Amino acid sequence: MSLISMEFLLFVILAAAGYYWIPEKYQWVWLLAFSYIYYVSGGIRVTCFLVFTTFTSWAAAAWMEQAAERIKDKKKARQAKRRILALALVLNFGVLGALKYTNFAIDTVNSLFGAEFGSLKLLLPLGISFYTFQSMGYILDVYWGRAKAEHNLFRFALFVSFFPQILQGPIGRYDSLSQQFYAPHAFSWERSQRAFLRILWGYFKKMVIADNAVIFVDAIFGHPDIYDGLGIVGVLAYSVQLYCDFSGGMDVVIGVAELFGIRLDENFKRPYFAVSITDFWHRWHITLGTWMKDYVFYPVSLSGWMKSFSKFAKKTFGKQTGRTLPICLANLIVFLVVGIWHGAAWKFIIYGLYNGLIIAFSGLMAPSYRKWKTALHISDDSPGFHLFQIVRTFLLVNISWFFDRAEDVETAFLMMKNTLTHFNLRQMLEPGIEIGEASGTTYTLAALGVIIAGCLLLFAVSVLEEQGKDLAEIFSRQHWLLKGAVYLGLLLLLPALGQPSGEAGGFIYAQF
Amino acid sequence: MEKLIEILEEIQPDADYDTCETLIDDGILDSFAILSIVSELQDEFDIVITPADIIPDNFNSAKALWAMVERLQEE
Repeated sequence: MSLISMEFLLFVILAAAGYYWIPEKYQWVWLLAFSYIYYVSGGIRVTCFLVFTTFTSWAAAAWMEQAAERIKDKKKARQAKRRILALALVLNFGVLGALKYTNFAIDTVNSLFGAEFGSLKLLLPLGISFYTFQSMGYILDVYWGRAKAEHNLFRFALFVSFFPQILQGPIGRYDSLSQQFYAPHAFSWERSQRAFLRILWGYFKKMVIADNAVIFVDAIFGHPDIYDGLGIVGVLAYSVQLYCDFSGGMDVVIGVAELFGIRLDENFKRPYFAVSITDFWHRWHITLGTWMKDYVFYPVSLSGWMKSFSKFAKKTFGKQTGRTLPICLANLIVFLVVGIWHGAAWKFIIYGLYNGLIIAFSGLMAPSYRKWKTALHISDDSPGFHLFQIVRTFLLVNISWFFDRAEDVETAFLMMKNTLTHFNLRQMLEPGIEIGEASGTTYTLAALGVIIAGCLLLFAVSVLEEQGKDLAEIFSRQHWLLKGAVYLGLLLLLPALGQPSGEAGGFIYAQF
Repeated sequence: MEKLIEILEEIQPDADYDTCETLIDDGILDSFAILSIVSELQDEFDIVITPADIIPDNFNSAKALWAMVERLQEE
């Protein structure tokens, strides 16, 4: 059931109406029932994988807690917990890895050794990356003593399956979500209005901006030989499409959750205003970044073998560089995982390593940057330097989008080369070349106008939010006539300016 | 405590460690800085810091960091 469908809206209305009608102590049961109805509507067979992850995570956490209570010797208890943790991680990441990466491994073996193994037809359960990461985060929290194990399997099942977030996140944390799921929630008109506005804004970003931008993206990236002069248009359109698609989806998800009184973590914070790649990852897909930091970056950095490497590096390269090198290596490992998470292809591995290398290089050079800025009297607060940092980061991010979107690594490099050597904006106007025809949708100047107008509105809203203004709160204080007109205007604009659903209707990150 | 402040000032000089209580919440210490501090603390005070110890409560101020060092020394 797509987030952009009348079915979904009716489903949400029905779920919300019942949620506030039944006794509050049963609200979480109601949410669990609707979450499973939602997931089962996508297929019974894939639901088995969700049940598997739910059960093994719940059982592993309870088993770890029991082991800690039963075994008096602290060292032995820690070892027992570690074995249970390892088993749960191997089982769940094993399922995720087998379903997502088996065919990539087969293709790699075939191309390296000239073998002819056939691809397997494997199911990919909806949202498997998201719910697996969320569940494994919970197990690690219990292992480290940051969270207590949930004894009730059904309460835990809601944490794994909560329907607004299961398809594309945000990746939640048990300590924050559990407190909200099981608490009573009274209906709030003010909260519902805020949620409704957020949902409409999300649909606007997705349907009006992203789904119009995708026409250009598909045509240019799909036919880099024909549109060889438009690489820059393609990558800019992709930067708009990807942001509006994913963050628009998040607005809908967060808005729908808010209708039930559940506040999910924010996943985006105006990423194209970032001043460095590190800052970009603090603003883009935030919950994946913090998940990677807490559950991969810190554990890898503090592992025994990394400590040995740190000692060796300090002896060999001196205190400062020796201290930073292991952190850079751990960071590279994290971004390798991020790349692999994005997809089973070499281009995603390059995408991840590209980000990791820039961040590692910045980390190593940080003391030198500080000295240079002092010598040149450059202040971080200066508007000119701030703008320079934003433009530089945007440029670096767009280079990474070539790897993310192009068919393969070779095409990404070809398109980057053509962007510098064959830039020809007139290709958009030349007769005979109709952007969009190639992707099966119609390109008109109006579509271009809609994207530009939509982006200007998005930019204005983002600038105000960046200045700390709570636009939803300001909007809620306006006269009801104005509010009604805005709601109605957005509702009418969506079908009128959006592209007909089909290829353009799905969310990119719902495939993860 | 003096040694701790010295380490902090060497790794991230742009902060007032005597008064600041929001080193993590305000993004003054990023993950690179946190791990650099951890590496130095482990060497200097002969303690073992685990991922479970890396929480904002332990890193938001010099005082909190020192409390963590003392606790880990006792363990």
